[in-house]
Amino acid sequence: MKKIFFIILLTLAIYPSKADTIYELIKIPNLEIYDLKAENKLRYLYAKQPFTIGIDNNINCFNSNKDDLDQKYKIIKKNLDKYSFDFLKRINLKYIVLCEDLSISGINTAGIPDSDMKTLILDIKFNNKYFERVIHHEVFHVINDSFPDIFNKEIWSSYNKKDFIYAECSTCTEKLGLDTITKNKGFISEYSQSTASEDMAEVYSHIISDKIPKNIDPILEKKISYIKSQILLIDDKFQL
Amino acid sequence: MIETIKASKSEKIIFIFLILLAIFSISSFFLIKNKCLFVKNYDPEKLSFDKPENIAILNVECGNVIIELYPEISPNTVERFKTLIKNKAYDDVAFHRVIKNKLVQAGDLEFGRKGNLDYGKIGTGKSGLGTIKSEIDNPFDFTSGSVGFVRTKNYDTEDSQFFIILEDKPLYESEYTPVGKVLYGIDALKKIKYLDKSVYVLRPDFINTFRMLIN
Repeated sequence: MKKIFFIILLTLAIYPSKADTIYELIKIPNLEIYDLKAENKLRYLYAKQPFTIGIDNNINCFNSNKDDLDQKYKIIKKNLDKYSFDFLKRINLKYIVLCEDLSISGINTAGIPDSDMKTLILDIKFNNKYFERVIHHEVFHVINDSFPDIFNKEIWSSYNKKDFIYAECSTCTEKLGLDTITKNKGFISEYSQSTASEDMAEVYSHIISDKIPKNIDPILEKKISYIKSQILLIDDKFQL
Repeated sequence: MIETIKASKSEKIIFIFLILLAIFSISSFFLIKNKCLFVKNYDPEKLSFDKPENIAILNVECGNVIIELYPEISPNTVERFKTLIKNKAYDDVAFHRVIKNKLVQAGDLEFGRKGNLDYGKIGTGKSGLGTIKSEIDNPFDFTSGSVGFVRTKNYDTEDSQFFIILEDKPLYESEYTPVGKVLYGIDALKKIKYLDKSVYVLRPDFINTFRMLIN
């Protein structure tokens, strides 16, 4: 036991101090620069090794092979290029972290926003069918975190039928489907029915991805108008 | 009767070798001890500058570091920097945070001054002039030799501390307020004392003087 302790101590003692600029800025280890040349100045980073962060190390993500990374990066960049530098600055988004099999407390997720660190972690292996749309879904969470007062949950919930109640949290329900509902009853997807914030993110992502169904009911119409008007409060030049 | 023994040829060779080894060892000892031996010291008086009013000379143990300040990029921060330099506020202030070949940081006027170092608080001191707003909107290439103002994790908390990077750090753009770039003498900064195990330096090197070329 003493020998092991001694070896550990020796290893720590001889380990040189290093400066990891990325870790210093966004507190995520094992990342490298992927691309810094985006016109809107988003900084794309990728996991060169798996990383674990968060309270009790509950957020995990893994490194990807280069081909997957290159392929998904093109899709992600094409979608995020829709946002101007000014808008991104206002919503506090600067770093995009690309990795795969992203999970929080063991539950797989498409993305994890952290507006304090100006960061959005994206799972590049998330279901291809919804991949482009969920990028904007996650961007909405960044927007909402930066402007919590602009997106009022009470006003939003008041658009729903009186007998409808959202779940306590986004993972406290079985309603996780991301398919667009054509015969919508106030909701654009099954997942929209989980929480007010997820409902807003779903509506927003459909607007930005231009996937709003042709026939929508009056409730959904109000929700779409609400999202559009509130986004314009953040940036009146935003193209919706 | 004492018999004189003549040294053989091989013994002579060994003797000469030992003498040469001794000379080499002694001279190496002095050469290694002088960390500034191969560092060129630049004399600002012998150089010409386009904007001499924006040239600052940081004098450290291994010579002068000549920095051009960029008021057109960060006007308020450069003004603060110039004020402190003109007040000689940085003289005898420690390079308290140094990362080998990557970064040197100095400018804690409260807890980093020679004779009044506070290792428990160094890096948190204030200038007494208050904080200023971050100026991060203008494009700036944080290449090796760039000088920036230090802030806490929040923006608009810049005061007096500054850093100079010794390698390119493109991610610093729009994170930190740039104030200038080293024109000459970056090698002198690479000789600033660092520790292998910690970025905070015990018994650090100090700024000798920091002056504007034209006062």
